[in-house]
Amino acid sequence: MNVCIAGVGWVTPLGSTIEEVWNQLLAGNIPPIAEVSDPLGNKSYPAYQVPPSALRNLPPHPRLRRASAISRFAAAAGLAALTDANLTNEHLQSKQLALVFAVANGGVIYTKRFYRDIVDSGAGSASPLLFPETVFNAAASHVAAIIGLNGTCYTVVGDGSVGLTGIQMAEDVMSDPSVDYCLVIAAEEADWLLCDAYQKWRLLRRQPPIEVFASPAGGTILSEGAGAVLLARTGPVQVAATSAGAYFARREKAGTVLARVLEKVGTSENAMVIGSANGTFVDAAESSAMDKVAPSGVLYAIKGSLGEGVAAGALWQVIAGVRALTTAQMPQPQYPKRAAADRSLAKKLTDRGELTVLSCGLNQHAGAVRLRRA
Amino acid sequence: MTFNAANVTNKRVAVVAAGVISPLGLGLAETLESLRTARDCVGPVTRFDVQACRCQTAAQVRDEGLQPITNGSRARRLHPASNMMIRALHEALDENQNFHPDLAVIGTTSGGMSFGEQYYRALSTRAPLQRAPRWIANYSPQKPAVDALEAFGLECPCQIIANACASGTNAIGHAFHCIRSGKYRRVLAGGYDALCELVFVGFDSLQAATPDKCRPFDADRTGMVLGEGAAVLALEEWNSAQDRGANILAEITGYGISTDNHHLTQPNPSGIGPRDAMEQALRTAGIDESMVDYINAHGTATKFNDSAEAKAIRELFPSGPPVSSTKSMMGHSLGAAGAIEAVVCLLAIQHSFLPPNINFTRAGEDVDLDIVANQPRSSAVRTAVSNSFGFGGTNASIVLQTARS
Repeated sequence: MNVCIAGVGWVTPLGSTIEEVWNQLLAGNIPPIAEVSDPLGNKSYPAYQVPPSALRNLPPHPRLRRASAISRFAAAAGLAALTDANLTNEHLQSKQLALVFAVANGGVIYTKRFYRDIVDSGAGSASPLLFPETVFNAAASHVAAIIGLNGTCYTVVGDGSVGLTGIQMAEDVMSDPSVDYCLVIAAEEADWLLCDAYQKWRLLRRQPPIEVFASPAGGTILSEGAGAVLLARTGPVQVAATSAGAYFARREKAGTVLARVLEKVGTSENAMVIGSANGTFVDAAESSAMDKVAPSGVLYAIKGSLGEGVAAGALWQVIAGVRALTTAQMPQPQYPKRAAADRSLAKKLTDRGELTVLSCGLNQHAGAVRLRRA
Repeated sequence: MTFNAANVTNKRVAVVAAGVISPLGLGLAETLESLRTARDCVGPVTRFDVQACRCQTAAQVRDEGLQPITNGSRARRLHPASNMMIRALHEALDENQNFHPDLAVIGTTSGGMSFGEQYYRALSTRAPLQRAPRWIANYSPQKPAVDALEAFGLECPCQIIANACASGTNAIGHAFHCIRSGKYRRVLAGGYDALCELVFVGFDSLQAATPDKCRPFDADRTGMVLGEGAAVLALEEWNSAQDRGANILAEITGYGISTDNHHLTQPNPSGIGPRDAMEQALRTAGIDESMVDYINAHGTATKFNDSAEAKAIRELFPSGPPVSSTKSMMGHSLGAAGAIEAVVCLLAIQHSFLPPNINFTRAGEDVDLDIVANQPRSSAVRTAVSNSFGFGGTNASIVLQTARS
């Protein structure tokens, strides 16, 4: 079965238009750091946040009046992907469109606010307006209402690799020949509560930049935003293979599991891979998987520039892959170090017309997708 | 590149095993007994303080069902939702140890949310945080499914659907679709959710939960009662199941999914969402509505849900098949509900009876249905439809039928 990528859209701490973000990635820029404050412990944490200007093109809609940041990010990225594919609302009315929304932490800002009221003032103060927005599929529901979707709509939850699970699930949905398009969106919002949890998990660093493939791993910085990929029957980039993923019970096994998913999607030994290295144990796991499966290949890690966008992060990787295949450009590779010296490498690699996106979540899941220029 | 429709198949999907934990009981046998005796499992909430809530009751799984089935420090760290999933999977795989899934598709709404609550409370009250790493590692929604797979050494990938209250039925439906299309041969499907304060207070704040009995489709219905549980169905491509001599319990033949954009929490009063889902499920199954012997309704006992669902059923099924909402007995277990109710349908098919809709006095003016009121009925069930609808306007229906060779 052929499934292609017909359009992409993203909302990131580096901006939201395709060109704007891509050019910043090529230049190796990183977003300005924000300090998110923990009012309970009088602490603050660094995070990469979406600038307000990134949502300037989001049209007003009644569903977004009270919606959380995650819903706004998702809507903006989803609509951008439809626009990128030149799909109008009129066109979509006559087509069968499905939606898969992928998320890890979800609407944590509203969830925390809702529960804070319960803890501080008792159940009687719980807000009936906030509660529906805490549900994992609230963002998907808003996007469905905005684009007028009334068919298949799934919210899939997982860790940072869940964006690729979303692509796999969308491919499963599209095994129904009546489905013309499937819009896959992944979104996340950054909040001090998450930062605190990641800090207690010993995964967070105190200040930028994220140093990928450093030894010992120095930690990551959380970011927020959304990525969206429109799958169709035709398009400039084909989803050549997907691995529905695999779980690793212990971090030490992550490298083995990542190698398995790389093999499963048919990664060649000199492949170009866009990985999820983020300054944590993931870096060593991905480099070890590369050494096993693609010893002559090159691994790129865009999370050094975009931060750990959790669910959104995996789709940002896919979008970077699409850009690489359609523009024959890539940011400087990070692994192995020797690759960084070869300035013409990006063109050589992208000329081959295919690459693999690899994602290792922080909570035991790994997945991969191989993309090919159609 | 173009799509090749010739690659699409219509494989048959067998149910070869099931396991369930719910307020009705731990396992299939206890569940069957409770359904046959019309047991009301709703009682006072004991897990957290509900004094400030309007509704103070829920259907809880008895404590044994929330405990680990193995010893060891790792098992003791797990969330109760993980333990329920492990128990349900244990029952399903106990007599089907050759069932090695290619994929698991599981539904949930809140995973290990109560651990997240404990973490926030500890931060908020400056309580000791020694257990924080346990809470953080185990609160995420997918963790109970991962724990269950790991407990049985299953390394298959897992798709966790969080489509609110329709999650369990969506999971089974998507699993059905994955096998039917020929992409997978064996898929584990199911759902889980454990009671937690945040969700309980949330429904209470919406005044969707009732301080009264749960009375689906009744004229005096005043709302839902929450429940909890987990259920798993082992699904297999029909020929594969036959070739290995598996005991085929039933066949899943249809699945429908629709999205109603009327409102985030309220269904379109016209019933169009449920109707579309049921219509699509029947179409997939290739059956006429007159062939349906029983409908296990979503039936939350809220005014809006029951009214829209009753209208949709009445319009789509002029023959008026018997309908019940087993949530009247076991409460609404959210992400687990669809999976547990699929097991209820399975038991109805296997044991030729219609599960009751208890606490029923008289039908609401907007309910023109043949409700299986208060007591089970003996009746052959060859075809059953199970409905689940949820926040976000998500609607899902599946068709289960007797196993035909």
